Amino acid sequence: MMLSRAARPALRAGAAATTRPATLNATNAATYATLREIEGRLKSIRNIEKITKTMKIVASTKLTRAQKAMNESRSYGQTSNTVFEKAETKPLEGEGKKTLILVASSDKGLCGGIHSGMSRLARRILEQKPDADLVVLGEKSKAQLSRSNGKNMVLSFAGIGKDVPTFADAAAIADQITLLPTDYSSIQIIYNKFINNTSYEPVVIEAFSEEAIKESANFAAFEIDDEILPSLREYALANSLYWALAEGHACEQSARRNAMDNASKNAGDMINKFQILFNRTRQAVITGELVEIITGAAASEEG
Amino acid sequence: MAFAWKAAGLTYNRYVSVASRVVRRSLKEDKRIAAERRGESDLRFAKWENGKQGENKSLNTANEAAVADAAGHQSS
Repeated sequence: MMLSRAARPALRAGAAATTRPATLNATNAATYATLREIEGRLKSIRNIEKITKTMKIVASTKLTRAQKAMNESRSYGQTSNTVFEKAETKPLEGEGKKTLILVASSDKGLCGGIHSGMSRLARRILEQKPDADLVVLGEKSKAQLSRSNGKNMVLSFAGIGKDVPTFADAAAIADQITLLPTDYSSIQIIYNKFINNTSYEPVVIEAFSEEAIKESANFAAFEIDDEILPSLREYALANSLYWALAEGHACEQSARRNAMDNASKNAGDMINKFQILFNRTRQAVITGELVEIITGAAASEEG
Repeated sequence: MAFAWKAAGLTYNRYVSVASRVVRRSLKEDKRIAAERRGESDLRFAKWENGKQGENKSLNTANEAAVADAAGHQSS
């Protein structure tokens, strides 16, 4: 009895049983059950690790494509922004100027906190400008923002993030935004800026209204006709959107890769822990059985 | 300076996408398939009113309807 009790602390830890079983038979039954339980959990953790590993590989391959698209899209956005920088365009301030906040997230989760980071920034801006309207791209941020700022929402888009965003997507969204009945003095696009593989930062790019462009300091230098101005504005909006979408997509893939990498690592840790526990428990069961046999043999010899 | 596409109620982005579609379709077969993929867009959108989400609609058909609507206004 003494020996079997000494071998039991490990068992009890595995079974997490607080009450000590009354008979030896019951103890054995309990350990067998936990052995099987541990085996089952080990198996399921292994499966989860396999899944997360595969998702990481998928995200890695998508990431290279997304990064390429991001670098290409950057030139679109930056070139079109150069015009406004050189013209020193500033957003119009004043009473009755409506702001539109555009959040460029995506439909898919499992990629850490990049969506909530953007939602947080959007909420912060909304606190300062409570009458601003909200357009959300992607289901994830939509779900988050519709709970807190549902009244500000005017449009939401879905179907983003299945693949690398195309310019056709951006143009179609920009069109739908220009069709909105309200005239916005400034459009702020919130997206995740790709700093490096592990860090992203939600930032804002501005898309300006016709008035704002017209009133910018150096606007005369470009000799833009009044009639072409709306076209320029629409096109600039599409360019900025495309940039934001592509960069956000790259961030998402990279974040997903990291999240899945961490998940695989955690699964690996858990597998190690459970493997050790499993081995210990098995060893303890064997020891217990040996003790039973020996004591039984000794008892029958004596008797 | 008046543009024909503007008179027909197209936005500049719509005009550009139509033009790019034409260019893509006139490419050679192998290049065309790769290029047409860049022009694909399959988004859905919904209008919101007073914190309630409206109906989910396809973006492309909605845009085409808007263009047709604008064209109707222009001609009448």
